[in-house]
Amino acid sequence: MKRAWVLVIAALVLGCRGDTRQPTDSQNARPAASAPGSASAPTQGRADIGQSQASGDNDLFVDRAEASGLRFSYFNGFAGNYYFPEMLPGGVALFDYDNDGDLDVYFVQGDMLGAGKTIADAAIPPSGPLPLKGRLFRNDLTINADGTRTLHFTDVTEESGIDARGYGMGVATGDFDNNGCVDLFLTFFGTNRLYRNNCNGTFTDVSKASGAADSGWSVSASFVDYDRDGWLDLYVAHYVQYEVAGDRPCTGLTGKRDYCTPKVYRPQPDRLYHNLKNGTFEDVTAKALGGASFGPGLGVVSADFNNDGWMDIYVANDGRENLLWINQRDGTFRNTGPLSGAAVSVNGRPLGSMGVDAGDADNDGDEDLIVTELPGEGTTLYINDGSGLFDDQSAPSGVGPASLGHTGFGTAWIDYDNDGWLDILSVNGAIEALKGREGQRFPYDEPKLLVQNAGQNHFTNLTPHAGAVFQVTEVSRGAAFGDIDNDGDTDIVVNNINGPARLLINNVRTANHWLGLRLIGAQGRDALGARVEIVRKNSGCRSDADPKCLKRPLWRRVRSDGSYASANDPRVLVGLGLSTEPPMIRVHWPDGRSETWNAMAIDRWTTLKQGEGR
Amino acid sequence: MSTRVLATVTCLTLTIACSGNDRQIASTDSAVVSPPAGSGLQPVALPDFSKMEPSAQAQMRAQVAALRSKIADRSAPPPDLGANYGEMGKLFMAATDFDAAEPCFLNAQTLAPSDSRWPYYLGQLYKAKGPLEKSIESFERSLRLQPSDLATLVWLGDAYLAQGRAEKAAPLFAKALAIDPASAAAHAGSGRAALAARDYKQAVKDLEEALAREPRATAVHYPLAMAYRGLGNVAQAEAHLKQQGDADARPADPLMRQLDGLLQTAEAYNVRGGAELDAGNWAAAAEHFRKGLELAPNDTSLRHRLGTALYQMGNAAGAAEQFEQVLRIDPSHARAHFSLGALLAESGRYDEAIAQFRSALEHEPGYVPARVQLASAMARSGRAPDALTEYEKAIKADPAHADAAFGYALTLVRLRRYVDARDRLTEGMKAHPDQPMFANALARILAAAPDDRVRDGRRAKALVDSLMKGPQTLELAETAAMMLAELGQFAAAAAAQRDVLAAAQQRGLSDLVARLTENLRRYERNEPCRVPFAEAEYP
Repeated sequence: MKRAWVLVIAALVLGCRGDTRQPTDSQNARPAASAPGSASAPTQGRADIGQSQASGDNDLFVDRAEASGLRFSYFNGFAGNYYFPEMLPGGVALFDYDNDGDLDVYFVQGDMLGAGKTIADAAIPPSGPLPLKGRLFRNDLTINADGTRTLHFTDVTEESGIDARGYGMGVATGDFDNNGCVDLFLTFFGTNRLYRNNCNGTFTDVSKASGAADSGWSVSASFVDYDRDGWLDLYVAHYVQYEVAGDRPCTGLTGKRDYCTPKVYRPQPDRLYHNLKNGTFEDVTAKALGGASFGPGLGVVSADFNNDGWMDIYVANDGRENLLWINQRDGTFRNTGPLSGAAVSVNGRPLGSMGVDAGDADNDGDEDLIVTELPGEGTTLYINDGSGLFDDQSAPSGVGPASLGHTGFGTAWIDYDNDGWLDILSVNGAIEALKGREGQRFPYDEPKLLVQNAGQNHFTNLTPHAGAVFQVTEVSRGAAFGDIDNDGDTDIVVNNINGPARLLINNVRTANHWLGLRLIGAQGRDALGARVEIVRKNSGCRSDADPKCLKRPLWRRVRSDGSYASANDPRVLVGLGLSTEPPMIRVHWPDGRSETWNAMAIDRWTTLKQGEGR
Repeated sequence: MSTRVLATVTCLTLTIACSGNDRQIASTDSAVVSPPAGSGLQPVALPDFSKMEPSAQAQMRAQVAALRSKIADRSAPPPDLGANYGEMGKLFMAATDFDAAEPCFLNAQTLAPSDSRWPYYLGQLYKAKGPLEKSIESFERSLRLQPSDLATLVWLGDAYLAQGRAEKAAPLFAKALAIDPASAAAHAGSGRAALAARDYKQAVKDLEEALAREPRATAVHYPLAMAYRGLGNVAQAEAHLKQQGDADARPADPLMRQLDGLLQTAEAYNVRGGAELDAGNWAAAAEHFRKGLELAPNDTSLRHRLGTALYQMGNAAGAAEQFEQVLRIDPSHARAHFSLGALLAESGRYDEAIAQFRSALEHEPGYVPARVQLASAMARSGRAPDALTEYEKAIKADPAHADAAFGYALTLVRLRRYVDARDRLTEGMKAHPDQPMFANALARILAAAPDDRVRDGRRAKALVDSLMKGPQTLELAETAAMMLAELGQFAAAAAAQRDVLAAAQQRGLSDLVARLTENLRRYERNEPCRVPFAEAEYP
């Protein structure tokens, strides 16, 4: 996030009557002024939903955090010192830790920084239970007889055995020991930790024994089987070399104190750990990752970017060239970032680059990239030509202009309305104090952003029509995406700094159909990296002239990484649009084998296991 | 100031304005500059000056006072009042307070509708803050007032490109070129528009022209690389990517230059100086840093950068003085320790340099460049085994650090561990394929190591042949001569050596000339070289 010295969110709205809707500083959530940089969304965005919403219920997402018992707030310990780590946390994970078929939630938590500092020194005190540590919430989802859902979360941190204290940054999920239960890798400003899931509701801290618990400042990580041996390896993006004792005071141009930029500190190199299949990892960074300068890494996503069947890794670096590690299929990677066209902006500038995701935005069978950026930069959209070469389409697609003015963090390609086209949702929060808000204790809040894919590489800003939660401004960072209530649409959990976490339940009413798949590989775990080709027998197009009419197969993949410092639902949720026929699907497993299933039942979740297809 | 107090002050101000004179001066502590009543102009909400550094506060308050005074002056012509609003807006914009700047420029534009400056600044403001549509609208307005203004044409074209409308951008750049065919910025813009339209051939033409006009516009290399990539010319694309930098091809832009130089704060000077440093304008950089230090004498960032600029200007003593001063202010300043160490090492004062590098590492243990320099200083001062240890630590801390890997390998050569050196250089070539130093050093070992087990003339030849496809350096030419001699081709070796010698003599490299002459005599005696590196060639 290099200092761009740009955007100021619209400031106060004042009147002689006084403003009775004063925000509470402890929440730091306030109704936004006009979404900055946004063009008004055309009504066709709403018409594309398929049918009109129930009257009085037009919000596309509704926050159910409080109602469901998912109460959490990331405490960053801000006490006026502007310690650099305070600006970047924290992540959140959606994963089924107890294998009961629904997604549970893990929130990363922070702490105080600075010698001798206690919670009493914090400008905004913590609002949750003490001592401060990451928290695990079990999803006690009930599907009622009439099909409605009752969401309830229970804090099971104590019984889980996860005692993750310290300055937490992010989380990655993956079953690294292939025992059928998803494990947690936690990144810290400090020493990272690996928690092995014991498959009985508890976790064991195996950090030291694992060999993967390095120190420093890590934000995002990704479990990825890069050598196709069936065991998940681990890529950890590191940020900068920083110690609180060596903190340097930074100011804006007028001399006002604020957070530093990463240019002030030296980047800390990323790490690649190879899974040795015995519960331990070997650091293979020197052998496997050569010839590139590591940047301050923030976001990581793994996918097969050049369609050769091997997993590659993309790293979003803050203020430096992003890295595109292309798998050389011999245990090493080569950084093709610069030539790929996905390392910098269309003008050759390294950008802020915080959150990242890969997905098939143009439905041509390859993985395209979005990267969230600083306010004056706009989200970057890199369209893949299928060979791992990208074209920056941020401007012509409308993605860039729609997101100008936002400091983007957690993000994902999601098909929010199941029309078969991947849309973009990002959560935002400033890294530079918002001008005109000097009276507030932590003035870095921004609204969220929803951008709809209108087909033909064209996107429109849906935010003004997306509902109340998109008008609330918060300091959002991590976001995890998945079907939390198992009703066939994508929901989101958001971790906010010094503010309540959000559980955004998808409220879109649509005639579109969907396909839900959980893919279990030969190792008996989620087949991270598997790609699914969905062939719809009828595309359900209203007319061939419809820009969204698509007769090609849809491609989606199994993944838990991407976004920012967070871990997503590894299941595959595919919007089928108006297609009513059960599609044929072909699964391309990570080990190179493929299997077909004909006539997959739609509008439900189905588990497919490797070896049971044709 | 809390929201409630601000609201109260605002109400009080508006009440006074409504009940009294149309242009009554409000209190200088008022948070809003109210326009003349009935003018239709916008009020300007002032930021909180109290947290700004004193020089910024003084500037802001002076400008506010001037504006209020002009507002109160009923005889002031509207363009004069507009100019005052405009100056206020410029100062806010220089401080990146776009929300405060916007109403100032809008008022200036209303009061002086034929003054192209105000829509121009609005165009720049909206370009930075959004929305793009307003930026375009404002630049268009400015252009209507000054149809031949090159900067406006280029920035408007840029805004259309940012909006993805290359078809609107291209004619603007074409018009700019018609006005000034030598404009690198217009050529670059035209090239980017062609690239956006996937007209790669035209893009190459335009962007090459931009570079020819302004070779220091290193940012042009990136779109040019993408254009070559579009044509399928990967070699050219990669060649340009290697030269890619941050310096844009910018139009002459007196309005923005004025704005960039407006804010008189230590940090503003630091930023301006930093930009000059990046552009290689050392003297200009130093001047900015000095001005910043007048305002903040204990600012270690300013002082360290001043030292850097002085060093680049050839003033090593001046640089050292600045670094030492930084350390008096902040003994834990790792970069200053590093910089001082580098200066000492350069003048052969290795023990002192080692002490400085150790201090840098004491305060910042992960400072890999400092550890690499420490290792280098140790190796140069006869402590090769210690150097190996430090290089190893550096590699462990940053496996991608090519200099650490290279330094380690060459230290093995110093220790006459040629087999190990060969193996390390071979690994280095694989790990750092874009760093020819590994291949060149390996070729040297294979051609000239005193260890028979290591020498392999044919493998050396293969490496040299491959390296010759890239940039030809004196070092490489010398390696080629060694290789030829190892293969028994002494006449060819001598001929090659003579060419290198001539080139070295032409450049006045007397030390190199002496060494090259020694090797030439060997080849003339039909003897191969068995000294792969001279002392000066070790890291």
